[in-house]
Amino acid sequence: MSKKKTFLGLKGREAMVLGIIIAMVVLFSILSPTFRTYPTVVSVLDNSYYITLMALGVTFPLITGGVDLSIGTGLVSYALIGGYLIVHKGVPVGVGILACIGVGVLIGVFNGVLIAIMDLPPFLATLCTCMITRGLGPALCGGFGVSWPSAISEQGAFRKVFKFISANGTVIPIGIVLMVVLVIVMSFVLDHTRIGRYIIAIGSNKEATKLAGVNVKFYHMLAYIISGLFAGLAGVAYAATYATIYPGAGAGFELDAIGGAIVGGVSATGGVGTILGTFFGVFVICLMKVGLPFIGLQANWQQIFTGIVLIAAVLIDVVKKKK
Amino acid sequence: MGDIILTMKDIDKSFPGVHALDHVDLEVRKGEVLALMGENGAGKSTLMKVLTGIYKKDSGTITYEGKEVEFKNTREAQDAGIVIVHQELNMLGHLTVAQNLFIGREFKKGIKIDDKKMNEEAKKLFDRLHVDIDPKEKMSNLTVGKQQMCEIAKAVSFDAKVIIFDEPSAALTESEIEEMFKIIRDLREKDIAMVYISHRMDEIKVITDRVTVMRDGSYVGTLITKDCTKEDIINMMVGRVIYEEPKVESAVPKDAPVVLKVEHLNAGKMVQDVSFELHKGEILGFSGLMGAGRTETARALFGADPKESGDIYINGEKVTINNPQDAVRCGIGYLSEDRKRYGIVVQKSVAENTTMASMKNFTNGIFINKKKEREVAEKYVEALATKTPNVDQLVVNLSGGNQQKVVIAKWLTRDCDILIFDEPTRGIDVGAKNEIYKLMNKLVAEGKSIIMISSEMTEILRMSDRVVVMCEGKKTGELDISEAKQETIMNLATREIE
Amino acid sequence: MKKKIVAVLLSAAMVFSLAACGGKEEKPAESGAAESTESAEKGGEDKGYTFEVIVKSFQSTYWQAAVQGIEKACGELGVTANSNGPANESDIADQVQMLDDVIEKKPDGIGLAACDTNSVKKSLQAALDAGIPVVCFDTGVDDAPEGAIYATVATDNEAAGAVAAENMFPVIEEQIKAATTDKKVRIGEVNQDATAQNIQQRGQGFINKMVELCTEAGKKVAVVGNEFYVNATEGKVAEAEAEVIIEVGVPAQTTVDLASTEAQKIMSKEDTIAIFGSNQTTAEGVITANQTLNKLNTDPAKGIIGVGFDAGTPQKEAITNGQFIGSVTQSPLMMGYETIYTLTDICDGKEVSDIPMDGYWYNTENMEDAEIAPNLYD
Repeated sequence: MSKKKTFLGLKGREAMVLGIIIAMVVLFSILSPTFRTYPTVVSVLDNSYYITLMALGVTFPLITGGVDLSIGTGLVSYALIGGYLIVHKGVPVGVGILACIGVGVLIGVFNGVLIAIMDLPPFLATLCTCMITRGLGPALCGGFGVSWPSAISEQGAFRKVFKFISANGTVIPIGIVLMVVLVIVMSFVLDHTRIGRYIIAIGSNKEATKLAGVNVKFYHMLAYIISGLFAGLAGVAYAATYATIYPGAGAGFELDAIGGAIVGGVSATGGVGTILGTFFGVFVICLMKVGLPFIGLQANWQQIFTGIVLIAAVLIDVVKKKK
Repeated sequence: MGDIILTMKDIDKSFPGVHALDHVDLEVRKGEVLALMGENGAGKSTLMKVLTGIYKKDSGTITYEGKEVEFKNTREAQDAGIVIVHQELNMLGHLTVAQNLFIGREFKKGIKIDDKKMNEEAKKLFDRLHVDIDPKEKMSNLTVGKQQMCEIAKAVSFDAKVIIFDEPSAALTESEIEEMFKIIRDLREKDIAMVYISHRMDEIKVITDRVTVMRDGSYVGTLITKDCTKEDIINMMVGRVIYEEPKVESAVPKDAPVVLKVEHLNAGKMVQDVSFELHKGEILGFSGLMGAGRTETARALFGADPKESGDIYINGEKVTINNPQDAVRCGIGYLSEDRKRYGIVVQKSVAENTTMASMKNFTNGIFINKKKEREVAEKYVEALATKTPNVDQLVVNLSGGNQQKVVIAKWLTRDCDILIFDEPTRGIDVGAKNEIYKLMNKLVAEGKSIIMISSEMTEILRMSDRVVVMCEGKKTGELDISEAKQETIMNLATREIE
Repeated sequence: MKKKIVAVLLSAAMVFSLAACGGKEEKPAESGAAESTESAEKGGEDKGYTFEVIVKSFQSTYWQAAVQGIEKACGELGVTANSNGPANESDIADQVQMLDDVIEKKPDGIGLAACDTNSVKKSLQAALDAGIPVVCFDTGVDDAPEGAIYATVATDNEAAGAVAAENMFPVIEEQIKAATTDKKVRIGEVNQDATAQNIQQRGQGFINKMVELCTEAGKKVAVVGNEFYVNATEGKVAEAEAEVIIEVGVPAQTTVDLASTEAQKIMSKEDTIAIFGSNQTTAEGVITANQTLNKLNTDPAKGIIGVGFDAGTPQKEAITNGQFIGSVTQSPLMMGYETIYTLTDICDGKEVSDIPMDGYWYNTENMEDAEIAPNLYD
């Protein structure tokens, strides 16, 4: 039964995740004096952009009861292709960005065809496209890393969309504004349009949705296209935040996004989830990625701790369902 | 009773190996409730699926509102005004009631779905039907009864002229059924035609105007409900000639020891206070209609589903069975009705399937003794006359009957003395059926004991030494084979609920 | 290495290869390659040997720098070298095919940078059977057939790490000398991981050198952070007793964002005076962290001293912008150059041995130099 408890105007899962975020910030701030500084806030946000974008996208396949594993290697691949066009082929940055997003959409369509039309299991299909995208970028770009134009160069203006650095060095992480806007837009799509309604319906009971006369194949496919589109956007965000895109990187990025979505309450079996929940869930992941090193936890322990937190988040889901 | 709205004439439909519908006729009139009755597999659901375009008929004509029609899918039938309220609920649990009602035909305001208007329309609809459901409630939070009301409301909202109820009361409580009847009567007033498929004799008498009976894919006849008795209907339903000779008397001596005793078993709505005894060397038939709770009883006994209460004695000793491992340890083997899901691993070989339940006996330390595995598998292939080129054959490549034999071999390898056969010959052709029967007789002759759940009357009468009849989750009778007749069993299986 | 174990075998092979070389010496270079005419013009001592060189990837700037070095050596020695390589470092099968093809040509020697050390073993056996000497560069092939590889020319990572420490130390010497146990100074190092051997050696090389230099300056050093490096360092003291702390950060995964978090963690600390990123990823992590912190400066009094490793546009920009005082680069150019010299020495019958290559320090002053610039890929 739905919980009516509210917290800062939020209910149920979202309130809980927001609570976890606040608790983590408090804990890290107590344990590490250097954590509670403005640059750390910026760093957490920097870390969050590409993961947030991936997570917003992958929420849709997850809600259909599927998954998209190709977004991680995908985003690196798309950013490589875009960067290659800009740096080595001399196309304008805008065209490079469109190429990056465009290839993402194409891979989304490809996933959609495999899953919605040819009926491959999503895990398998996207695992294969994960491998394909891993090789695709390096294959098209000659196998070496690409640095998109830096912030100080004339062409680097796109980086300012995510992080504005003023003349005297003040940093304003305005990317978060963009994220909030996208969260609002995608929440609307999920909760108030046919696209969202049918994607939830597919995850809830695909057969019944088909019997209701819904073009299930189309909407099922659309979930993966949205995921691909956002992986492309994530590629741009990644290229804007970090210096060099290395070929072969990106494996495992998708787990941060999927983990974030699941912490945020998206059910791994489909049908349930909110965009806001996903957004908060991503911050739990990002806070751990930044905060755990700050409190002096070494590499291996960071991973162990992150795994435990994810188990806890999924367990809450399972226990709630059993009740 | 009004004019004829729908006529199905000479409908014929075959599936590979089965003549599902043999020139069936059906006639439905405006403002009536027509009961469609028949045993399991009589062809009622198939006929309705042909009507709504889920199946394509081989021959015959459907005339609807004076025009010959052939719907390509449920959507077309729906648009024309013919709607099915399904036995299994096709609900989207994560969406609200209103969202469910209007799925696929949402009201919109620009690109935004107009949830407010949908809630209002749903409210209006429920008011019209005198149903009290909050359109904003999540579907999964509703009781099954309320969900059923939503299904009916949805059908009505399509401006349906013909509504087909496929066993609508199966999961409802008495008061919910009463509520549903109110709606049905209301719809009848509005001149809507309804086809009501049900096994519940009492309901038929209460709510329907005419009864059409089907048997073995054929049309038997139509009666006016108020002019006929329950016995008339049952006679029409079972009046078939039985080809296989039924057992005349039990082959089990009266003083045969009791190997399994079940007392007051309870597990949910489908298993209520079930008690019975199984003697050594006996085949105990479990008869009843679909959804009578027979499989549920077997699963609860076997530990596959949790039970609330009840005692189980094996050879007079009380045992605790909490899970299938416990049951197997007690020497009980269960051959599921759904072979593919629970019985065998189709992508594994005959040998591997044979030893699956008794792996411990085939391993030395950690390694599987393949030689021993093959020997045992070969022994049973021979003993059960399983038709397979060799024991390395993948089970998926065997016929249904031979797959069943592999499952039997699995439990025999495990040395089970009590075997539960759940629909042992479902999906198996006639020749193979006889072999399975012979095998079962051989097993009991060797001192094994068998519980056989079957929906086929002939199978029950031919194989059982005694028959337990269930209805609505309760045991309604226990007959020695000498006194078991089709009519008596059917009577117990469709017992009116007091 | 194993070369010494197989000295007998080796000398036998040398006789054979000498004979081969000698046979060719009398003929003018028939292949008519541009390099040979050029070398004749330059008028060096014309030895007339023909070598085949196979690099990991022909397209990348790193390997093009190696080819430059090869051509330079050819010019000086009057030998001919044909360079080739697959399109991509991951095209392992292509490279093996190329290697087999050049063995067929029976050159006087082969220079090889193997993409995959396992896949080339069979071909190396074929080269050994055909009596063609092979010199590996950039990457050694550890368990090659005995006697097949005459020498390996590769970066000594430990020494390269030490180069970073040697160049960083003079800049922060004053701060280190002023440090006390109450007013400690902190030097950071970000390593991509603690398992890959070359990164391990590099990171450890920096730490060892820094400990040595600080100890010489009369200061006690503690090493904190990643367990691997803490345990591997000798001559350290407990944190409380130390005046200088070396903090080693290793990200949980080898990604830029985590590398930058590690860098930021160290750079956020008040007592941090310098930081070293031991490969391209971690050096860029330092640069990314600085975007928000804005603490890097070439003047130790004003900010944190930054040192990087390898090249890439962001790092080169960081040096020209005055964020890094400099970086260490490996020299594919010098590796290519030394490879040709080693091959020629073999043909000349001289004793050869493995050549460990230094890391090269580069900063605003020498970035444009002919020896350095080609190594600094984008």
